[in-house]
Amino acid sequence: MFIYEKRLQFPIKIEKPNPKLASIIISQYGGPDGELGASLRYLSQRFSMPNSRLKALLTDIGTEELSHLEMVGTLVHQLTRNLDEEQIKDSSFAPYFVDHTVGVFPTAASGFPWTAASIGVKGDPITDLTEDMGAEQKARTTYDNILLLSDDPDVNRVIKFLRAREVVHFQRFGEALELLKEDLDMKNVYHHNPSLEF
Amino acid sequence: MDQNKQKVGCNPITTGKMPMCGMLAVPYVPVQRSTEGSYAAENGLAKGTLFPGLDLPYRGMVNEKFEQPTPLQELMALGFAVDELNLYLDTHPEDHEAGELFNRYNKLYCEGMSEYERRYGPLQVSSADGTDFTWVNDPWPWDLPKHKAQKRNMPMKKED
Repeated sequence: MFIYEKRLQFPIKIEKPNPKLASIIISQYGGPDGELGASLRYLSQRFSMPNSRLKALLTDIGTEELSHLEMVGTLVHQLTRNLDEEQIKDSSFAPYFVDHTVGVFPTAASGFPWTAASIGVKGDPITDLTEDMGAEQKARTTYDNILLLSDDPDVNRVIKFLRAREVVHFQRFGEALELLKEDLDMKNVYHHNPSLEF
Repeated sequence: MDQNKQKVGCNPITTGKMPMCGMLAVPYVPVQRSTEGSYAAENGLAKGTLFPGLDLPYRGMVNEKFEQPTPLQELMALGFAVDELNLYLDTHPEDHEAGELFNRYNKLYCEGMSEYERRYGPLQVSSADGTDFTWVNDPWPWDLPKHKAQKRNMPMKKED
């Protein structure tokens, strides 16, 4: 089960509202490589993971991703508070505003709502861990891109933290694959799928 | 492999271990050797990792440490060290040194959390008092600092 802790993982205090930037950052809330997909990917993959340490790792990283989802939601919320009329009419924010006002909705920056089609749960440990390594790299690139697009130091401080976490998670998933190999046929790791019991 | 590189030797902090004979057609990531050279918790929180070898910023964009951290930021730093070592231990079953580091940070975190809750209110429902249910009070984690709310004529509330 889950217990809520009433704090963020990393402090966030955004001084200047910026709906244009919010409409970019929302992609890490509900976009193809965002934190909602990350948490659901790992927390779903763990059910078919055969090794106890890998169940732990998927649970622990999946849980951390939920705290990142909360952080990205906080960024969007704080960037869209106390907006004046001009800011609401900003051409990059108005399409979001008309549907969601200043609510935080899981969608890609392109306007496509969050979809499970952007995550993978294949039920084969090598396949799932390889997907996870790719997923962490895609999220890192998205944060790189946000750093190029944003010149708000309050926002960038948070993005740099989130980006660094993707690098650490990539490392851990790579190590997880090494742990998994110890349980596999060393002559042919693809001999069978250890998630299947026959 | 490049002979010169081999002569220089491997830095235990920034390089990991590869298998002697790697199987074909499956990915490899070097395994982190140890938690040697770890940043202190507050620096780790700012950088997003405790480990110098994993501290690989984009275009030199790095976070400086928090100046005069608030009590909540101090608690976040300890919580972060626990989270980071938790993931490390998941893939490093035999590393007792890391285990001891985890235990030290975990103890500091638990003590810090109790002290924080005593002063500012519960962080978890399990430490709330049902007859004085301050769990529901602002600020919630995503709320703006109060001086901003003041401009909108919102009632002032306690700030940590």
